[in-house]
Amino acid sequence: MENLAEEKKGSTLLMMGNDAIARGAMEAGVRVAAGYPGTPSSEIIEDLASVSKQLNMYVEWSVNEKVALEVAASASYAGLRSLAVMKQVGVNVGADFLLHLAQYGTRGGMVLVTCEDPGALSSTNEGESRPYSKMMEFPLIEPGNFQEAKDMAAWAFQLSEEIRNVVMLRSVTRLSHASGNVILGELPDINAHPEFRYDSHLMDTMAGPIINLPGTVPFLHRSQQEKLKRIAEIYDECPFNIYTGPDRPELLLITSSACYLYSREAIYLLGVQDRVGLLKLGTTWPLPPTLLEKHLASTEKVLVVEEVLPFMEDNIKAFTASIGVRIGVKRFYGKADGTIPVVGESNPDIVLNALSTILGVKYEPVSTDYSKKAAEIAEKGAPPRALTFCPGCPHRASFWAIHNTQALGDREGFVCGDIGCYSLGAISCGFDTLKTLHSMGSGTGLASGFGKLGNLGLDKTVFSVCGDSTFYHAVMPSLVNAIHNKADLTLVVLDNSGTAMTGFQAHPGLNVNATGDDVPAVDIPAICRAMGAKVSICDPFEIEKTQKELLKAADDREGVKVVVLRQICALSPEKKGKKLFDISIDEDICIGENCGCNRLCTRIFKCPGLIWDNEKKKARIDEVICTGCGVCASICQSGAIKKKEIQ
Amino acid sequence: MASAILSNDPYNLIITGVGGQGNVLASRMVGDMLLQSGFFVTIGETFGASQRGGSLMSHMRISAESYFSPQIPRGMAHMVVSLEPTEAIRVLKDYGNSQVKVISNTRPIYSIGVISGEQAYPLEKDIKNWTEELSQTVWFINATDAAMELGNPIFGNIIAVGALSGIGVLPLDREIFRKVLEKKMTPERVEQNMAAYDMGVSMIDSQTI
Amino acid sequence: MRIYGPEQLLKDVRERGLCVECGACVYLCPYFKTHRGKTAMLFPCDLTEGRCYAYCPKAEVDLDELSMNRWGKLYETTPLGNYIQVLKTRAGKNAPAGEFQAGGSVSSIITFAMTQGIIDASVLTDREGLTPVPRLIKRTKDVIKCAQSKYTAAPTLEALNIAMHEGQGKLGVVGTPCQVTALTKLRSNPLNLPDFSDPVSLVVGLFCTWALNAHQLESMLSKRLTIKSIKKMDIPPPPAEILVVETEKKRIEIPLDEVRPMIPKGCLICPDMTSEWADISVGVLENEPTWNTVIVRSEIGAEIIERSVMEGWLITERLPEESLKHLEIAAGNKKRRALTKTFEDKLLNNQGGDYRSSLRLRPEAINKILEPLKE
Repeated sequence: MENLAEEKKGSTLLMMGNDAIARGAMEAGVRVAAGYPGTPSSEIIEDLASVSKQLNMYVEWSVNEKVALEVAASASYAGLRSLAVMKQVGVNVGADFLLHLAQYGTRGGMVLVTCEDPGALSSTNEGESRPYSKMMEFPLIEPGNFQEAKDMAAWAFQLSEEIRNVVMLRSVTRLSHASGNVILGELPDINAHPEFRYDSHLMDTMAGPIINLPGTVPFLHRSQQEKLKRIAEIYDECPFNIYTGPDRPELLLITSSACYLYSREAIYLLGVQDRVGLLKLGTTWPLPPTLLEKHLASTEKVLVVEEVLPFMEDNIKAFTASIGVRIGVKRFYGKADGTIPVVGESNPDIVLNALSTILGVKYEPVSTDYSKKAAEIAEKGAPPRALTFCPGCPHRASFWAIHNTQALGDREGFVCGDIGCYSLGAISCGFDTLKTLHSMGSGTGLASGFGKLGNLGLDKTVFSVCGDSTFYHAVMPSLVNAIHNKADLTLVVLDNSGTAMTGFQAHPGLNVNATGDDVPAVDIPAICRAMGAKVSICDPFEIEKTQKELLKAADDREGVKVVVLRQICALSPEKKGKKLFDISIDEDICIGENCGCNRLCTRIFKCPGLIWDNEKKKARIDEVICTGCGVCASICQSGAIKKKEIQ
Repeated sequence: MASAILSNDPYNLIITGVGGQGNVLASRMVGDMLLQSGFFVTIGETFGASQRGGSLMSHMRISAESYFSPQIPRGMAHMVVSLEPTEAIRVLKDYGNSQVKVISNTRPIYSIGVISGEQAYPLEKDIKNWTEELSQTVWFINATDAAMELGNPIFGNIIAVGALSGIGVLPLDREIFRKVLEKKMTPERVEQNMAAYDMGVSMIDSQTI
Repeated sequence: MRIYGPEQLLKDVRERGLCVECGACVYLCPYFKTHRGKTAMLFPCDLTEGRCYAYCPKAEVDLDELSMNRWGKLYETTPLGNYIQVLKTRAGKNAPAGEFQAGGSVSSIITFAMTQGIIDASVLTDREGLTPVPRLIKRTKDVIKCAQSKYTAAPTLEALNIAMHEGQGKLGVVGTPCQVTALTKLRSNPLNLPDFSDPVSLVVGLFCTWALNAHQLESMLSKRLTIKSIKKMDIPPPPAEILVVETEKKRIEIPLDEVRPMIPKGCLICPDMTSEWADISVGVLENEPTWNTVIVRSEIGAEIIERSVMEGWLITERLPEESLKHLEIAAGNKKRRALTKTFEDKLLNNQGGDYRSSLRLRPEAINKILEPLKE
């Protein structure tokens, strides 16, 4: 979003949920923000970075989410308000520190924003982080619309300071990346001065050293429980818990987050406002006991709508059982009984179906004739669009070489994958090269293990790949493990000079950071050499050289080899628009479908810049799309694809 | 002002296309225009993987009363603006109904499956017939060719915004559009975009007469 | 000849373990490539008819059709195949000296043919350690670098395919029986390509009973010596039953029973010991390791032998009757063993469709071959 700090109090803007959260933090006077890029969270740090100088803030893309949490915590310990931002899986990375952070407590208000991806639209999993709040005993809040995204982000800091603990604010794609009307508040004058106090005694959590030790844990943990009680009291009065509906509804619908928007609309569309009571909880752990009891007592049937896990559902059921003597037994609908799907993101139709079934109200927005006809037509009329690497993407070239190396090497081989654009190496655009894919850094961790199975009889070449940002985030410890344990593996670092998948954020390999300052770049090959790996560097666009280097590494059965493939991302702001070569196809030479080629470039390589002309039976270049990287000319054995250097 | 101008409240608009066509920008512009006219606007989008060749939808809810779900319930679109012909059909499958109106760009963007020879792209006349079968009214515009005349295919999305204005189902005001542009870009770019907008309006005028 | 595509090639040859790494399928297209002597298919190809299948010496080899094409008559059932005469030869005084396996006849013949302009370049097999390296040799002095037996399967024909791709013609090729079979299939233009022209002018075939998988051999020998310093390998005639490997400093003997597991399965169904489709076939003369046995099969072969003798490049003598008899017995046994195995493995004369064959031969010929050899 363009300068969020310029907009004045009282103006109404159309804002993305993430922009609203950033503005909310600004309105609360946040001074330090740290995070790691991850869809759908990345815009928050980007927004804050763009106003950091203006508002005298420190904003950082940390090397990973654990460090981001630690950096934000440091500011809180120094009495400043701080923000840590990540997607759901980032919380897993920071979980160890989070446990200790929450146990000890915070000083300056600290908020952990987690932006989650139900339905795995941009993730390799459908996990969520709300259960951490219960497991590690700190407060959880969930905004239910765009105005709340801002207002609750601001309030979260206040709450954090009142109870002296980190507050988790949870958002989802359909709030973070969706937009709505938001009325802005005031930006405060910043005058807080950092001061880190540690001279007092061990039990003084505001001025003593910040120590978690076996001796102090019982005291700290007990304080944590006291805090939870206080939070529950605050929650009972919280204006972000909203009820609309009759005093004694036929059905009580309890919901939070984006599901509130779906539930609200579903009730409206079915016209059942007089039958259904809608309780939107903005504070979801701990549960607000008095408020909840009041509404549970007013009905016999409860529907809980949330995503992804039945977190609220299970907690509310437990709560209901505990006060059963007062309010009796209730009939619950939700994920446990199949009313709400257990898998996938929520939407208005899921709630419409649930209400329609429970209340016996018919709902048919479109005639079955239309639906049937539309489905039939769509089969032919809307061919699916497979994901692919962008034209000119260095990963396409890298995977070509890596894939061929696995086929040609002395021993057959396989590749363990990691997280980034190059995760697409698992499907046909990456020649189905990756054979494992989990979380950040897991590729090399697995390879470190596979690389020792040779002693037990596994006769295969082991490769792993990672991106430049991934390398700093999580691969380095796995690499140390592999080298120290003499695993036989080759790590291919796909260095495209940025954290590309999430929008080209900075990372330690660049000399520019989140806020545009000059910073020292940390050199990947130097690190690998210092660790003791055999290192070589290639340009993946030079396909033959790269393949030769990779084959050399594959056939070498001793220890860890690292091959760094360096070529800038096609979408990088530095690169965009600059063509290396003019590419053309000589139709007289092009063999096309015949034996000797069988359309290698369009059938297998499949760069979007290459088109198969089914009438002429020849390949053709799409000049609008082609970025002129020249790789297709190198793989064309007949020499039909020509590349001419652009001066 | 806002109140009785919308034929439906909320008015459900879907802008769809392929990653890279300026879909998101178009929806923001329309949203900003309507916000300035005093409406509640809710927009829902997915991005990330879409740049890598995938389809992209922006769901827009326009209301005089309130915000709504960023995902439109099935079968409830009132207007679909499609920057690519087959994407219109894809959207209509889930969100179309017999009263829906459609603006469709006629210039195809081939999927990787099509350009590699694995899939067949449907014939233009079939796409047109099918789109008409699944809607109440369709306006076909060659926004990409028109944009090329203006100097860059990327203007196709602004031309589509102009066309949407021209149809008149939403109170989209030319001067408010200019104001929205001025907040985001240089005076030179503003004029280029205004030309694209006007071209879109004229494309609808010529069809209606 | 029945021709199928690469998917069938994978099923019929690769998956059955019959590939002998001859290199005939390599470099015809971007899909088959070799690395350190091993062939791999990089990407799937869905053509129903391909040159890879057409040229493969283990796929649908119709011996009668091949013979008609090559010699103008049906396949000979005799152990040595079609030939004009058998001689005893060795390099003459005018031939360049060098480290030969035995008589040096192959190097002499090839070098002579190049100096005389009968061929412009030759497709030979070099060695790096134990890794076979196909080469296109254009200078006569480089021929000697490729001398000596390799005993490992080698993708020699890759060099031929590269040469053809670059428009080279008038080539001489030195190959083993499987390679020569593949080459003969290629020269018959089985796919009837309109712009095909035969790039080969001279084929020198080698005697071969079996070859060994290079990687497995390297694996075994690397434990006992430095692979890079191997100077020569030899299998002395029976009853020795050993493989001899020599480096500068060492000489080791390995019982053949230890290396037999490394024989590609494809060798076990090969009926050809003396490269029956070549112009000239050459082997070691048993019991006279400085001489070669040479079988002259074609007019071109005869002409070259005659001229090289005249120019002092080759010395020939009458081959002793005993030696010829032993050669016929050995060749006849291999042919018989191979046909029996081919039949037992259900790879002979199958009906087609999903039931494809490795070998085809008219039934009367099969019966004749399987009769025991008369004393």
